[in-house]
This record gives sequence, structure tokens and C-alpha cells, in this order.
Amino acid sequence: MHCTFRRLWTARLCCNIRGVSSPGPLVRVSELRKSYGSRLVLDNVSFDVAAGEIVGLLGPNGAGKTTTLSILATLRNPDAGNVTIAGHDLRREPRAVRRRLGLAPQSIAIYPSLSAFQNVELFARIHGLTAAAARSATAAALEIVGLDERAHESAATLSGGMRRRVNLACAMVHRPEILLLDEPTVGVDPQSRERILQILRELAVSGIAVIYSTHYMEEVERLCDKVLLIDRGRLLAEGPVAELVSRAGSRHRMELALRGRPPADLYAGLTGVEPIVSGAGDDRVILMLADLGKVAEVLERARAAGFPAIEFNLHSPNLSDAFMTLTGRALRDYSENHG
Amino acid sequence: MIRTALLIFRNEFRLLLRDRMSIFMLFMAPVVIIAVAGFSLGNMFGAPAGGRKYLIPIVDRDHGEIARAIVHGMSQDSRLRLVNAADETAARTILAKNDDAPIAIVIPAGTTASFSAGRGSDVIIYVDPVKRVEAYALELRLTEVSRAIAMAARDRAQARLVRARAGIDAKTGNLRAQFDELKKEIAEYQAHAEAARASLQKKMAAEIDARLAQIEAQSHAALAAALRARQLEIAAKLGEKQTATAAMVSYLKNLEAARSAFELWFGRLQAVAGSHAAEISSPPAWPPPPNPRVIAELKEPIKLSFNPNDIAMPAPNLRFNLPAPEPLKFPPLALDLKQMAPGPAIALPGVIGWRDRSLTPGYAEVNSFDQYVPGFGITFLLIDILWGVSVGLIDERDWGTLQRLRVSGAPISGLLSGKLTARFLIGFVQMVVLLGVGRLLFGISLGESPAMLLLPTAAIAFSAAAFGLVIAVIARTRDSVLPLGSVGAMTMSAVGGCWWPLNFEPAWMRAAAQWIPTTWTMRAYNDLMIRGLPPAHALKPAVITFGLGLAFLGLGMLGAMRGLD
Repeated sequence: MHCTFRRLWTARLCCNIRGVSSPGPLVRVSELRKSYGSRLVLDNVSFDVAAGEIVGLLGPNGAGKTTTLSILATLRNPDAGNVTIAGHDLRREPRAVRRRLGLAPQSIAIYPSLSAFQNVELFARIHGLTAAAARSATAAALEIVGLDERAHESAATLSGGMRRRVNLACAMVHRPEILLLDEPTVGVDPQSRERILQILRELAVSGIAVIYSTHYMEEVERLCDKVLLIDRGRLLAEGPVAELVSRAGSRHRMELALRGRPPADLYAGLTGVEPIVSGAGDDRVILMLADLGKVAEVLERARAAGFPAIEFNLHSPNLSDAFMTLTGRALRDYSENHG
Repeated sequence: MIRTALLIFRNEFRLLLRDRMSIFMLFMAPVVIIAVAGFSLGNMFGAPAGGRKYLIPIVDRDHGEIARAIVHGMSQDSRLRLVNAADETAARTILAKNDDAPIAIVIPAGTTASFSAGRGSDVIIYVDPVKRVEAYALELRLTEVSRAIAMAARDRAQARLVRARAGIDAKTGNLRAQFDELKKEIAEYQAHAEAARASLQKKMAAEIDARLAQIEAQSHAALAAALRARQLEIAAKLGEKQTATAAMVSYLKNLEAARSAFELWFGRLQAVAGSHAAEISSPPAWPPPPNPRVIAELKEPIKLSFNPNDIAMPAPNLRFNLPAPEPLKFPPLALDLKQMAPGPAIALPGVIGWRDRSLTPGYAEVNSFDQYVPGFGITFLLIDILWGVSVGLIDERDWGTLQRLRVSGAPISGLLSGKLTARFLIGFVQMVVLLGVGRLLFGISLGESPAMLLLPTAAIAFSAAAFGLVIAVIARTRDSVLPLGSVGAMTMSAVGGCWWPLNFEPAWMRAAAQWIPTTWTMRAYNDLMIRGLPPAHALKPAVITFGLGLAFLGLGMLGAMRGLD
């Protein structure tokens, strides 16, 4: 796969690579502000993205992820702040910026009645490729996303995951320097999701900067070099995944379902065990454990008290916990989208 | 279940209240369409909408009673405003230049004279064929006026007839009385005559009896005299016959004796001759004596028969003088026939009709498809282009392809130009096909130069595409395009004269119609297809349609630049 990808990409598309035009960050966002009426949706957001870097924009719905991507994609103007992409100011040189961008919007932005090939080829031509180059780039892009065999089928007949891949192919067919992806895996089957994530990794390896907006925490953890944790228009934290997760501490969360209704002080006296939810008469208990060695003690305490555990779940610290630590709230929609 | 039903029921209204477009479609759209149709179609029911008046130029070449009556009758209609035109050219000019003028009326010279003489006379009506329906309404009005004139004339004639009838009735009554009197007198005369006849008959019978007796006596006397004379004559004749008969008998006896003597002589002669006796020829034979019975008859007395006809009867004197009858008194004839002499002639009124003439080289009568093929063609062109452009753009916005195209570096103007040009071409082809189908199926007129129809067709296709962009900018959502677009398309079609002639509409609506492209396109189509005007007449409307399309395009592009994302 890797070999195939690189061969295709370099052989057919390298001519489109404009390269990093400056030694600094490929994308630089400074104090970005945007309001819709009286509602502030972006509040002094600043970040940098380097070439070949995959940056995850993580936050609940309405956090400002799509607005940020829209501004970067030149679809919206910021109220304040500066954005430079490959050294080009977003406001003054939007055309130069657009030439370097590829956007895969949240909706599957393709023509349902056209075939996958026709869709991708259309956007290749719009990006300025010649007819022959567009055909070649389209074939390569569809092969990369694994749709070369169904390239000439109507997009409407493809599965949701396949259409997502066509969506991605349209965004990358012209070999952009920066790929903006807005929730690219929503509603996608696991196989297509894996395929997309793999493609993105390959693209990053080839030098493309990927800004990846999602509320799927696992994708960010697996894919992104850097995470921008955003909520209510504010950039809460940025950095590598491990660094952000460490902000959530090292304790593990344990959720138990007990037979019967234990008293509230069931776990009193156990060191390294902090009850989070243990209301009297409640058969479900949430505990924070200092280390995994406390699991056996917790189960034994419950059994000895006459409330043996029916089931339990262990949860190691992650970005969601980091988000909770930073905001005191859970990542909204997290459970719904993973349910 | 009831709770659920109530909640859903309430929620439906809540959803409706939040959906302004649905409320618009529920209440405003029908009102708009109803208002447009009501205002526009009002004069199909005989009244121009919006309080305007029809302008009717009139050329009066008659200058008579009928012309005055027509003008007066038409002027009584509050819908009409009559203006005098010097001649037909002036009238046609007024007709051509005024949307409010569907017809011009020309009253030919001699109309009154013709009507008064009981003959038919035609008023000439110049009709703008595009305003055919209004012309029908006004012709109906003219019919009413003509009928009123004819009715008034008929009433006058009727009154004269009634008066004449009364005179005749009076005269007839007088004559009837005279005849009754005459009849009575004749009866008296008949009685008198009958008495005279009986008296005369009696006298005549007596006279005839006397005469017959006289004739009888005279006849008897004449007959007796005749018999006596005949008897005397017969006796004389018999005496003479008997004398002659005796002489004859005596001769015959002598002759017999002579024959006997001869035979004796001849015997002796033969004896004398001896041997020569043979040479003596035989003497001629003696006639045999009459039959003794005949001779005896001579002795019989003559029997005479008497033929009274041979009797000369004296001619009866039938000539007599009748007694002079009493002179008859013949009643005098008192009939005054002079009074029955016919009065002056009463002329029945004539008939006032009209003849249509087209204002233009086209036909006065219109093929309705000449109106409806381009009209509804434009409507569907608007809807289709509107749908294609507006929904197409909104779909692209919803799909995200529009964003993607923009991010791909395609300028919005280029994107829109491509879309609008494609839709323009589709609409153009659609309209050409519809006109072709209209020609083939419905025999519509394509005017002097069918190719010239392409100009307004291109103009309306362009304007419709640009209007579709405006709707796309305003509607914002797919659900909004349908109500906004369809109401917009239908309103533009209705107000622009696509569904009915523009001049159906009230003045304010026609003024508003000047600002929409359908008006001008239909004007171009009407000029070319119905009025049959030269191709140059389509230039101005087409240019205006293009101009309005450019205005739409400007608005649409402006809106698209600002908010089509």
C-alpha cells in the first residue's frame, strides 16, 4: 500500500507540488476572531501547522471547528486576526491560498448523479489541471482511495463510506500542500474509516499538512501529531496527544455495576481509590483509581460487603478526560457518536 | 395515545409557525395568484379591472341620427371613453399606440339613410388582434347599442303602425255600417222586385194564353183552306191524267193491231220472195206490250197522302208588348271608398351590423395557440430555468460542492456564468422546441420571419436564468425555492401577459408589468406572431428583456458574491 501510494503520488502528482515556500510553519493562525451576530464563535484562536503535520481540531459540536476550517479555506472572512498559508496572507492573496488548499467538507461535496471519476476529474480541471493531467490525477486519486474499480459508477450508487472516499479524492486530486478535512469519517463504516486514516498518514508523510476536524477522540489520538482542543470558540490547549492526556492526570476511571444497593461509604478507607459517583441506593459506582493494582481491592471490598460486582469497566486517561479536566464538562456528543 | 396525538397536533402548528415559507404558501401565494388572476381576468366578465376605461376612437362619416345614437349609446357606458378621430388612419394610430384601445369604430356615410330605408348597414370595427377578447366584449356592447337603436326605431314604427291600424279600424267600421245600410236597402229592393216579377208573370201568362188561342184558331182556318185547295188541285190533276191515259191506251191498241198486220205482211213477203226469202233479213222485233197489270194500274184512282208539313201554316204573331213594370227604386250606394285610400308608407327599421378589420397585416381572428404556446412556453421556461438555476445552486450549496468549487479556485462569477449559460441554452432550446411543436400541432403563426423569434426567445431565456439566480440568493433553501420561485414565475407569467393579453390588466398592474421581462417578450411574440408585424418590431422588446435580464444578473451576482455560501 505504502509503495503503491508513493509511486502513484510521486509519479503522477509530484509535478503539482509547490513545496514549502518558507522554512516557518505552513499555516499560521494568529488571534483569530469571528462572530455571527452577537455570538462569538472564535475567540483569539492561534496555532501553527507545519508541513507534513497532522493537526486535529478536537471539540464538541459548535466549538468553532468548522468555522476555523471555513476561514482557512477562504470561505469566510475572520473579524480579526491573521492567517498566512504557505506565506500568503489569507485576505490579501486568497487565490494563492486556494491553490495550496484541498478541502473535504463535512458534507459529501460531490455530485450524486456523476460518476466518481467524473466528480474527481471535474475538481481536478477546476483546479487548473489540463485534461490529460486531470484524467491521470483522477485515476491516481481514485486508486489511492481504493475506488479505481468503481470509478465509473454513479456516486449515488456508492456506499456512504465510498462516497466519503470520493470526497477525499476530490480534495486531494490536485495535490494540495494543505488538506482541510471537516469530519471526514462521519457515518463511515470501519473499513472505509481505516482506509481514510491510512491515506491521511501517507499524505502527511508525503509532506502535506493535514488539519483534521473531528469530535472522534480515538481518531485524533491515533492519527494526529498535534491536537488543538477547542471549545466555545476558545483554544483550550494544544500539543501532542500524550501531552494533553497527561493534563488529565494518570488516574484510571473504574465503573462498576453491583448486585444490590451498597452504602455510600462502601469504599471508605481504601487508599488510592476516590469515589466519584457512589450515591446511597445506587447500584452503579464510578471510582478513580491511582493505579490498576487497586482493581482487585475494589472488587474484593464489594464482594465482602455483600454487593458483588456484576460487571465493571476500566478507562485509562484520554483526550476526553483532558477536555473534562480543562472545562469541567464532557465532550458533548461523544457518547452519541460512539454509541 | 390521545396525549401523543395532542402533542403532535400542537407540534405541527409550532412547526408551521416557524416555517414562514409554508405560511407564505398557505396564505400569501394564493392571495397573490388570486389577485393577479382576478385583476387580470376581470374584463373577461365584461368589466375592465382597476377602474380604467377603454379608449375607443370613432370616425363618423355618417353624421346622421344613427351615428349620433351609436356615439350616444357607447358614451353611456362608464367603461368607455370615446374620442373622435378625423379619419381611419387617425383611428388606427390611436388604436396602435394605446394599450387601452382594443377597437376603433368607423360609421360609414349613409348608415342612417340605409337604416331608415329598412336596409342593413355595417359599422366597420378595427380590431387589435391581440386584444381580441376585449374586442369581443366591446362588440357585444356595440351590439347592445345597435339593438337599442333598432328597438327604439322599431317602437316608433310600431306606434305609427298602431295609429294607422286605428285609422283603418275606424274606416272599416264606417264601411261596415254603410254596408249594413246597403244590405237593408238591397233587401227592400229585392222584395219590391219580387212583387213586380209576380205581377209581370201574371200579365204575361194571360197574354200568352190569349195569344195561344188566337194561334190555334188561325191554324185551324189555314188548315181547312189548305185542304180544300189541295183537293181541287188533285181533282184537276187526276182528270188530266185520266185523259192522257185513255189516249195512251188507244195508241197501244192501234199499235197491237199494226204489229199483227205487219206479221201477216211479212209472212206474205217471205212467201213472195220464194227462194230468196232466206235472203230477207228478219224485221226488227216489236216491243212487247206493257204488262196488262200496269195498264190496269192506270185505271186505278190516285191515292194522295197528306203531309201537314206541306201545309203552309200562318206564322203566329207572338210579338206582343209586355206591360211596363213599375219602376224600381235602387238604393243609393253610400260607400265612401275614398277614405280607404292608403296613408303614407311606414318603413320598418333596418339592421345595424359590423365588420371586423384587423389593425395590422395579421388576421382579425386569432388562433388562441398563438397566445398560449409562447405564453405557457415562457411560464414553463421560467419554472424550468428557475428550478435548474435556483435549486441547482442551492443543491450545490447543500451538497458542499459550491464551497468546494470556490475553494478549488473557481471564481464565483465563473461558476455562475457557467451555470447560467447552460441553463440559458437549455431554456432557449426548450422554447424553440415548444414553438416548433406549436407550429406542427396547433398551426401557430411564426410571423413573417420565424428566425426573428429567436431574438426574444434568447432574451427571455437569459432573463429567466438571471432571475433564477436572484431567487437562489433570496430563497436560501431548497424548500423556499418552490414557493418563491413558482409564485415568482407564475406572477411574472400572469402579469407579463403570458396567460392572457396584457391589456386585460388594470393600469397599475400594466405599469408594474413594464419592469418584468415576460411583458416585453410577449409583446415581441405578439407583434411577430399575431399582429404579423415586420421583424424589426421585435428588436425593442428583446433589448428591454435583455436589459431587465442584465439587471437581474447584477442583483443575483451581487447577492451571490455576498451570501451564496
